[in-house]
Amino acid sequence: MVTVGEHPDTYPEVELMSHMVVLFLVFLRSSHTVFHSGYTNLHSHQRTDFFSAYSLRKMANMDSDSRHLLIPEGDHEINPGPMNIQFDSSDIRSKRPFYIEPTNIVSVNDVIQRVSDHASAMNKRIHYYSRLTAPADRALIAPDHVVPAPEECYVYSPLGSAYKLQCYTEGYGKNTSLVTIFMIWNTMLGTSILSIPWGIKQAGFTTGMCVIMLMGLLTLYCCYRVVKSRSMISSVDTTTWEYPDVCRYYFGSFGQWSSLLFSLVSLIGAMIVYWVLMSNFLFNTGKFIFNFIHHINDTDSIPSTNDSNPVICPSARSGGHPDNSSVIFYASNSELQQFEKWWNKSKTVPFYLIGLLLPLLNFKSPSFFSKFNILGTVSVLYLIFLVTWKAIRLGFHLEFHWFMPTEFFVPEIRFQFPQLTGVLTLAFFIHNCIITLLKNNKNQENNVRDLSIAYMLVTLTYLYIGVLVFASFPSPPLSKDCIEQNFLDNFPSSDILSFIARIFLLFQMMTVYPLLGYLARVQLLGHVFGDVYPSIFHVLIFNLFIVGAGVIMACFYPNIGGIIRYSGAACGLAFVFIYPSLIYIISLHQEDRLTWPKVIFHVFIIILGLANLIVQFFM
Amino acid sequence: MEESDSEKKMEKENLGPRMDPPIGEPEGSLGWVLPNTAMKKKVLLMGKSGSGKTSMRSIILANYIARDTRRLGATILDRLHSLQINSSLSTYSLVDSVGNTKTFDVEHSHVRFLGNLVLNLWDCGGQDTFMENYFTSQRDNIFRNVEVLIYVFDVESRELEKDMHYYQSCLEAILQNSPDAKIFCLVHKMDLVQEDQRDLIFKEREEDLRRLSRPLECSCFRTSIWDETLYKAWSSIVYQLIPNVQQLEMNLRNFAEIIEADEVLLFERATFLVISHYQCKEQRDAHRFEKISNIIKQFKLSCSKLAASFQSMEVRNSNFAAFIDIFTSNTYVMVVMSDPSIPSAATLINIRNARKHFEKLERVDGPKQCLLMR
Repeated sequence: MVTVGEHPDTYPEVELMSHMVVLFLVFLRSSHTVFHSGYTNLHSHQRTDFFSAYSLRKMANMDSDSRHLLIPEGDHEINPGPMNIQFDSSDIRSKRPFYIEPTNIVSVNDVIQRVSDHASAMNKRIHYYSRLTAPADRALIAPDHVVPAPEECYVYSPLGSAYKLQCYTEGYGKNTSLVTIFMIWNTMLGTSILSIPWGIKQAGFTTGMCVIMLMGLLTLYCCYRVVKSRSMISSVDTTTWEYPDVCRYYFGSFGQWSSLLFSLVSLIGAMIVYWVLMSNFLFNTGKFIFNFIHHINDTDSIPSTNDSNPVICPSARSGGHPDNSSVIFYASNSELQQFEKWWNKSKTVPFYLIGLLLPLLNFKSPSFFSKFNILGTVSVLYLIFLVTWKAIRLGFHLEFHWFMPTEFFVPEIRFQFPQLTGVLTLAFFIHNCIITLLKNNKNQENNVRDLSIAYMLVTLTYLYIGVLVFASFPSPPLSKDCIEQNFLDNFPSSDILSFIARIFLLFQMMTVYPLLGYLARVQLLGHVFGDVYPSIFHVLIFNLFIVGAGVIMACFYPNIGGIIRYSGAACGLAFVFIYPSLIYIISLHQEDRLTWPKVIFHVFIIILGLANLIVQFFM
Repeated sequence: MEESDSEKKMEKENLGPRMDPPIGEPEGSLGWVLPNTAMKKKVLLMGKSGSGKTSMRSIILANYIARDTRRLGATILDRLHSLQINSSLSTYSLVDSVGNTKTFDVEHSHVRFLGNLVLNLWDCGGQDTFMENYFTSQRDNIFRNVEVLIYVFDVESRELEKDMHYYQSCLEAILQNSPDAKIFCLVHKMDLVQEDQRDLIFKEREEDLRRLSRPLECSCFRTSIWDETLYKAWSSIVYQLIPNVQQLEMNLRNFAEIIEADEVLLFERATFLVISHYQCKEQRDAHRFEKISNIIKQFKLSCSKLAASFQSMEVRNSNFAAFIDIFTSNTYVMVVMSDPSIPSAATLINIRNARKHFEKLERVDGPKQCLLMR
């Protein structure tokens, strides 16, 4: 073995020697003929213990017979692995160290640093500390302020690359305020927008506007209470909780079941309204297409305005049947009569829808339908456009009579305003999912501000549409009382703009309907059977029940205003009025911060909610 | 006795192959290596209860934190004349058959570092009256033969006055019993302070402590176990404890240049704190010392589960080769070569030869009791 001479007794000589050796060999580095001569030179200058790296490099490149000198004696096997004098040489193959393929190693010259040094140091630290304690011991567990935020967490492969976990950052507080506000606005604006003008009519113009604004404020406050309810629970980790979980925490299983029940009421109410509206729109669309194809001018005896922007008053007929059944007299036209027989708003069309929608309801996961979310926004914007256009065309017709109804106008203050409050309870309803929507807000401290802005925008939208439709309703020929519960019904089926609106809304509702069905199914079947999709039969029976309810309502009581106000007042009672206030009172009481003004105020809210529901039945 | 047998065994294993045989045990002791004539030099780790001393020691010395110390006391009880167990202090004080009171750390009594030094933990202040009395009565024993006093302050403590008071009383005891001791103050748990205020708060504390410590000199560090600051502070402390560290560094530099290594590090054996290092070019990762230390300590923990001890390691890929090996009786060396074509055998031979030089270096240096001597 090429190795040691005796080491000298004095140190400086050694250092000098080693330096000389290095210099000498550096000089010789470029010439390849040095192989053996370099080796022999080294041998003769053998006054040092330290081999210069260069000389070893050269030796490694030598031909094999010289190389053998580096192998410990007794072993003539060609050595495939790295040599290590600590290994038992006879068994060297089996003790080869763990070898990572070169292709898997990240080059050190990579400009892009995959994982920051700080992060990998922290990673090692946490690894090491976790070995020092028993798993149950919390002494060395990294506190939150030390661990990087989830969006900065990487999975670091020992082979060099770093991956960011997508699911970690998904939906985790990355929406800007604007997006959150838009999402809240979009979710809140539903089909109750169609009933707002009717609600204003029922309440009177001034009263209606005041009621809209006051209800907006009241529901906003209750929504604020819902959002804050989670943060008042300090003992448990509530980050994944939704409002029903909060109710369960405070009221036990009664809270859970009752919140489930009321949530179902709102969902099923919404689905019934959807069915009624869909049959309405489908009917009108079919009629429009039929009339368009057969060039029929729809001159029926329904009172309407006689100009280029017709507005009809479908309910102004003797007997006052509110639904638009086809009691229309024509010169007998068998084709038309056939069509009228088979295409009837309340007798046949609701059933045609079953064939379309029942299969869609049976899907296990409706995520396909959530892609059509944009249709909702588009239809609302289009409605706004439509209303503005019509208002421009028709002009304003307002007269203010305070208490007495006239032939064409309604009084400003009417005592049927609870009908409007019932509609508005559902119109401003978002309390069961507001926590989830705000969870994704990037700056959580702006939650209340964003919520208020969203509510303000929604109130403005409702006011805008309600006021414009009400004000532009052509009162001299028609009475304001003619405003339908679905204001699109006031436009004849031949009107192109409203036809487009109906088509939009029809498509939008057809995509939202399965989502609503899915939500209702998840909640009910999930709680009753424990499984979201117990079997096709359970799901089918559930869907048949819902669809049946929709069909029945469409046939016999297609007053969406009525349906909305009943279901709105019912589910609003729990989620909007009672639960938030009660939970707030209880949590304050637990913290001993309860004061009399707060109790009185919140009990007053609860009483309002109860009154809202009870009065609906008397109107 | 079972306990002492296992303690003895672990003691031998933790130190790895020693250069000299262990001292024989005197009669009546519990396997504690304690020559009758010379007392061991101590490092006192003191501070208020709950300031983080046990965690700190566990992290630095790579020991399991055993929370339950009462368990050990019961088996020793019947063998002795009198026993005073102080479980929150995690130290035991025994009076043996000869009447000598010995204080030792039962949990981890066999881990020594820097050769002769033993780490003793003491809760200072905030304990109940029993321990208060005990502390005062054993004061001289505790503070005798102290090489280093490390006092830990919790930065979040609400009772600054009391902390300072206890600190000063410890200093008085040091002045009486071991006036040559080095004093270090650690302001701990700095991660709980907001980043922008850390420097300010530390400066304040440092000034106060310097002022209070007069005439003794104290060095202050700010530390947190979630930071590289703890490791750096302890490395600095260990660096100051080595008497001939400059010469060591010079020799290390020469060694590195001769074998053309990228970097050579010298670690203290038990704690893997970096004593000195030489690098011939800029390295990318500033946290590498602590990372290596953590990795090896973690590996040592795994080895100890199999009753094995860590001796050496070689890591190699197409870009570099790194060798970690025992160096002197109290140090490990790590050599990083960026030329992977050099066979391992050569580097290991170099390390082996260098070892002899450095051992001589330690032995040659002065007749006085050197820390790095056996």
